[in-house]
Amino acid sequence: MENTTKKTISRKTLNKSFHHWFYGHLTAFSQEHMQTFGYLTSMLPIVEELYDNKADQEKAMKTYTAFFNTEPQLGSIIVGITASLEEARANDGGVDDSTINGLRAGLMGPIAGIGDSLVVGTLIPVILGIALGMSDGGSPLGAIFYIIVWNLLGYFGMRFAYFKGYELGDKAVGILVGAQGKAIRKAIGTVGGMVVGGVAATWVTVKTSFKLTNSSGKAYLVLQDKLDAVYPGLLTAAFIVLCWSLMAKKNISPIRVMLILVVVALAGVLVGFFNPGLTY
Amino acid sequence: MTISWIQACILGVFASLSSMPGMAGSTIGNYTLGRPLVGGLVCGLVLGDLKMGIAAGVAMQLVYIALVTPGGTVSADVRAVSYIGIPLAMVAIHSQGLAATSANAADLAKSMGTLVGTVGTVLFYGTATMNLVWQHMGWRAVEKGDFHKLYAVDWGYPWISHLIFSFLPTVLMTHFGANAVQALKTALPMDGIPMKTLFTVGALLPCVGIAILLKQIVDSPVDFIPFFVGFTFAASLKLNLVSVTVVSLIFAMISYKLDMAISANRQPAPASSGGGSVTDDEEDEDI
Repeated sequence: MENTTKKTISRKTLNKSFHHWFYGHLTAFSQEHMQTFGYLTSMLPIVEELYDNKADQEKAMKTYTAFFNTEPQLGSIIVGITASLEEARANDGGVDDSTINGLRAGLMGPIAGIGDSLVVGTLIPVILGIALGMSDGGSPLGAIFYIIVWNLLGYFGMRFAYFKGYELGDKAVGILVGAQGKAIRKAIGTVGGMVVGGVAATWVTVKTSFKLTNSSGKAYLVLQDKLDAVYPGLLTAAFIVLCWSLMAKKNISPIRVMLILVVVALAGVLVGFFNPGLTY
Repeated sequence: MTISWIQACILGVFASLSSMPGMAGSTIGNYTLGRPLVGGLVCGLVLGDLKMGIAAGVAMQLVYIALVTPGGTVSADVRAVSYIGIPLAMVAIHSQGLAATSANAADLAKSMGTLVGTVGTVLFYGTATMNLVWQHMGWRAVEKGDFHKLYAVDWGYPWISHLIFSFLPTVLMTHFGANAVQALKTALPMDGIPMKTLFTVGALLPCVGIAILLKQIVDSPVDFIPFFVGFTFAASLKLNLVSVTVVSLIFAMISYKLDMAISANRQPAPASSGGGSVTDDEEDEDI
């Protein structure tokens, strides 16, 4: 009972599968199944095209009921890879359930790591940083710039990842988790670190109003000026490092850190270290 | 400034589209409409004060410039920040008589947005929990082989979760919250300790946003070096962000070439000599 013609997924179906992922990867999110349903809906057109009889379709769909969650933008590549593996399975290419799910489970973590630092940690803050500058003073230009640039990069980037995954199939795995993947991640981390530093220095300002005045009311020590003379933005940088160490070293949740800052702010206001200088 | 029912309903629809598991998909929803900068544009248009909307959006965007949600753990809910926090902040700025683009207005917006955003995580867990009902229906459909039902489960039914946990809370909080914010002015004078604290917190909060992002890229103190180089470029040398990015590319290139050269050198060595440790480092990623 061997098939004479090799089954291939049509371009139209691949497009459909990609768009199902692009739109629906998180719409039915729950803590328990996360992106599993998005995955099922993007594999469905492929499974329906590859298998004619119902029993085979059911068997194939069962594979994708396994838990799935990753960084969804870059994660498109995993959907593309499994599309190619499903095609191989339909052609009896020595691929089974455990091959596909082993690969999916093995890629979720690394792709989430790369995706979070590349897309959410670097790309979005850079575009937002540029956009914030354009919107300084209340202009809508920056917001419009962000909408256009991010969506074009997001859509075509995800599309590229999906089709690259399909094209490479299981060969993509070696590239993603091998030495090259690691080198790329480190390089991206460098860009990310510097850009975040730039964002912090440009957009975050922590200032002290602490000063000492002599009897005639003239200030002879303005702490903020002294600190900036040592290193511009010293106080801002110090607060960021403090927040980082609370979260990374002491494992305090961001919400708790925010509450700590409320206490710090109150104490600072009471002793005159902070004063936003409000007037009516 | 008040928020009418119709305005509140428009904000409610945007809240449904933009939340973390939002109905516009995460690229267009969470990462576009959910960003406070874009939320500021939408709220500005809806409430009829574009300039103030954008200014409030810019201020709040700083707090959440890098809102990473590793493994689906959220520290702030974007639908609440952008479509409850920004409108209420706009009303507050208006009623306090602050100039839209002043630093004080920005600090007030940050405090307000963060407060609402943190409380709003309840909405995130509410939506995600209610989606379990639809998913349960989905599993039954899969068992029966009724696969087309999956489309309704993934794209249709979650709207009901959003009606309850995005639309209604947004409509009610923006409509009635606006009155409460007006009353706040008389209750809390600007030069009192509570308001001073609120504004100071607003100035400090972006540090948390930056720190969350740093947590993703800094493992050891040495990893702070790129951050401080970037910080120095901007703070001391006054470079803008695009310039900082361009300069960073050369360091990224050097780092990549160096790593590739090192791994190329390692290749000919016996397989036992450390190939294993390279993959081990990769395993401890969050999902």
